[in-house]
Amino acid sequence: MSARVFVGWFDDEHALLRATTAAREDGLAIVDVFTPFAVHGIDEAMGLRRSRLPIICFCAGATGLAFGIFLQVYASAVSWPLNVGGKPFNSMPAFLPVIFELTVLCAALITVAALLIRTRLFPRIRAPKNLLARVTDDRFALVLSPASDTWNEKKAVAICDREGALSTTYEEVES
Amino acid sequence: MKRGTFVLPGSTRTALLVIGTVGFGTLGVGLALSPARAWSAYLINAFYFLAMAMGALTLIALLYVAKAGWGVVIKRVAEGVAGYLPWAAGSMLLVLAGVHHLYSWSGAHGHDDPILKAKSAYLNVPGFAGRMVVILALWLLFAGALRRRSLAQDADGKVTHTTSSVAISAGFLIVFALSGSVASFDWIMSLGPHWQSTIFGWYNLTGMLVAGLAAVLVFAIGLKRLGALPELNVCHIHDLTKLLFGMTTFWAYLWVSQYLLIWYANIPEETAYYLDRFDGGYKMLFWIVPIVGWLVPFLLLLPRAAKRSESHVLRVCAVVLVGRWIDVYVMVAPQTMPEHAGIGLFEAGGFVGFACLFVLAVSGALMRTPLLAKRDPYWVESVHHHGT
Repeated sequence: MSARVFVGWFDDEHALLRATTAAREDGLAIVDVFTPFAVHGIDEAMGLRRSRLPIICFCAGATGLAFGIFLQVYASAVSWPLNVGGKPFNSMPAFLPVIFELTVLCAALITVAALLIRTRLFPRIRAPKNLLARVTDDRFALVLSPASDTWNEKKAVAICDREGALSTTYEEVES
Repeated sequence: MKRGTFVLPGSTRTALLVIGTVGFGTLGVGLALSPARAWSAYLINAFYFLAMAMGALTLIALLYVAKAGWGVVIKRVAEGVAGYLPWAAGSMLLVLAGVHHLYSWSGAHGHDDPILKAKSAYLNVPGFAGRMVVILALWLLFAGALRRRSLAQDADGKVTHTTSSVAISAGFLIVFALSGSVASFDWIMSLGPHWQSTIFGWYNLTGMLVAGLAAVLVFAIGLKRLGALPELNVCHIHDLTKLLFGMTTFWAYLWVSQYLLIWYANIPEETAYYLDRFDGGYKMLFWIVPIVGWLVPFLLLLPRAAKRSESHVLRVCAVVLVGRWIDVYVMVAPQTMPEHAGIGLFEAGGFVGFACLFVLAVSGALMRTPLLAKRDPYWVESVHHHGT
């Protein structure tokens, strides 16, 4: 499926930041902003919410911790108690390294998996074919959605012109 | 207070001088009445405050080596904390006067002990003193070289000061990893001369970095609140606190590593160290160390918002610094006074005395120079620092 989007083209990140802020404040729906490098403050300008990945990471870590404790207590003290060096069956110090590793492993793997699923970046996914040209080179693109209820072409063009856009175009992109 | 300058009010200075004198006076009385106990209190506090200065110096070196632009805003604060180093070196040299009260290997009965006899090629008073002088001189040389370049840059603005500081910092980090290990072996580990742990040096180096980070954070936030360092923004505090969070966790990792291997192997000459800490009333303090030094700061600093709140970070720094003190205490006191644990007048007096000296020395270093290293090539980048 393809969609028609409005693109404001810039060659300066400060102008892009100002235009993005203005577009958000005027209620225009921002699809995305494409830049050749990371631009500080663009998240705030776009009004992006903070990522919720840390919550997933914490829960995954806690799960790994609980699993690490359960695995070892069950195996060493309940299911098959073995006398190792005269230590108690339930020896927390000996379990610590495995608990630590499982906590880190679960937190890391599940967080990465959650990120890939949420951003739809898993294998065999269809990648959009006609990416905006030059945004990986020297152009900054503010992409707005003309399909939204609050769309106002005059306003969008006015904002882009005021903040120093090189041009404004409509593009067909696969979504 | 004016932006970019710090002035310690005369009344505060007088108060610090008076309180500090009372503190050192108490310790001095102790040296006369009960030298063994008082020297132990002296060593604990001298080493504790030295750790902050060395931690701050390590932070400066790390920022240079990593070519970190963001940290320039707190460079002068870290230099200020490291400015206590000459005093710290002097206070460590004074330990030589009490060497016979502190280190059993230095005394006469050391000669009857076959283990100490075998170690006497390393553990002897001239060697101990020589190593101490060389190590302290090396640290002061590196600290002075970095400080001189930083100040020279204020005058001429040359980028070469930064590039040469990067090289000096790289050298310092290598030298400090080795000399800092030797220092903690000599000054702290040899209090129990039968026992050894190769991870002990790492453990103490990390403890120093933790103490230094906490001290730099406290002074930086304090200066911001006084209006002297408005450039310090929430992202600087966030990043410094992330370092503190990471380093307390790494310190705990080393704590567990040392404990776990000794617990697992269960060899008498190794477990002796922990048995000393399970007797004589030290057990509670021993278990408080990882709780106050890691678990509490870890949980308190876990959320993002916690690392970005000035007042919260200050409170956590206080917890960390208390944890550092108890850690040093638990490394020293069970060896110097094995019969009974006690934090009394001498320990408190020593702490108050050294704390006042530390604050006076750091304030002096902060007052002498502009707080804003405006001609550092990374200055503008640092002022606009914005992390996520």
